[in-house]
Amino acid sequence: MDRPVRRLTASRFRTPYAPALALALVAGGLAAWAGQDWYSAAHDDRAAYAVQRDEALAAGEQAVQNLNTLDHRDLDQGLDLWEASTTGELHEQLGSGRADFAERVREAKTVSTARVLSGAVTELDERAGRARVLVALRVTVRASDGTRTDKDSRMLGELTRTDGRWKLSALGQAPVGGAPAG
Amino acid sequence: MTWTWLPRRAGAREAGTGHDLDGEGPGTERPGQETGGGLPADASGRSRGPRLRRAVAAGAAVALVLGGCGFLHAAHQLRSAESARNRALTDTEATSRVAGDIGNALARVFSYTPDGTAAAERSARTVLDGRAARQYATLFDRVREDLTAQRVTLSTRAVRTGVVELEGDRARLLVFLDQTSRRGEGAATVAAAQLTVTARLEDDRWRIVDIKAR
Repeated sequence: MDRPVRRLTASRFRTPYAPALALALVAGGLAAWAGQDWYSAAHDDRAAYAVQRDEALAAGEQAVQNLNTLDHRDLDQGLDLWEASTTGELHEQLGSGRADFAERVREAKTVSTARVLSGAVTELDERAGRARVLVALRVTVRASDGTRTDKDSRMLGELTRTDGRWKLSALGQAPVGGAPAG
Repeated sequence: MTWTWLPRRAGAREAGTGHDLDGEGPGTERPGQETGGGLPADASGRSRGPRLRRAVAAGAAVALVLGGCGFLHAAHQLRSAESARNRALTDTEATSRVAGDIGNALARVFSYTPDGTAAAERSARTVLDGRAARQYATLFDRVREDLTAQRVTLSTRAVRTGVVELEGDRARLLVFLDQTSRRGEGAATVAAAQLTVTARLEDDRWRIVDIKAR
């Protein structure tokens, strides 16, 4: 009497648990694998680098556009934006030459607007927080007599990350007919 | 959840065997009394335990599967994000290769001497495709005779090349060109050009499929 009962109860307890346990193991395994997969995706260096690249490009294009946009009727705001978009040596140059430059633009009464045609990051040092960008730009200058001139220019910019934001630390025209570089 | 349930199961088995022996023994002897009070308790003890455990186990399994799916979805989102798909600069080897190939291709295709537009056109057939090839053919049909008559020499150099996008077998580049042209024995003039170039990797070679002057 003792034996069949024990066998009965033992099998009654075991039968539902074997598949349940297997299911739990499979589910747990899946969750663990998926979690690990997510973790590796979230901590992928390449992805972080790609995000930095895109941030640098967006900031670079915006800064180059800002620095080629100026309205003589709204000089202070325009020049404040110039200073906000820059850092380092370029920032200091703009700051020290600001008064002279503002005077010249006020006399010339020009309105410059810039549009970025295309831009690309050519170098990115994520750790040092430095990047170089190429920007193709169209600048429209409206003179005091109302004449408009379009000028396409190609700019080389250097960006430096300051306080988590990319700002221009150098900007110049790509030389024409010079020695090739990069 | 499973951790708290496992030890209880071990304990329940001991109690269960005792209860079963007890329930079966006296139940046969005194059916009237025991079935009245014993059966409902017995039935609930037998069915509630496994049913609850089963429900909890199923719930836990469902939660794990859902959690796993959530993680997979999040990982997929991260990997397929636009910035992550673009391999420009993240894949340095591929980036410098496409930049070099396209720079060279543009230099070859847009460099010619009065006697030798054939070389440029031959290069064009190997490196240009699609819309770019058609544009180039139209352009050359129009200027070929003038070039020879005015003895124009053009030499093109890619000064700066930036990869905007590199995704799979497609790439978009921004190229700054210097074009030095000379008519006959006249002085050379240098002109700057900015191009956005779309390229496609075919048989392990980058070919230009579209050119837009900027």
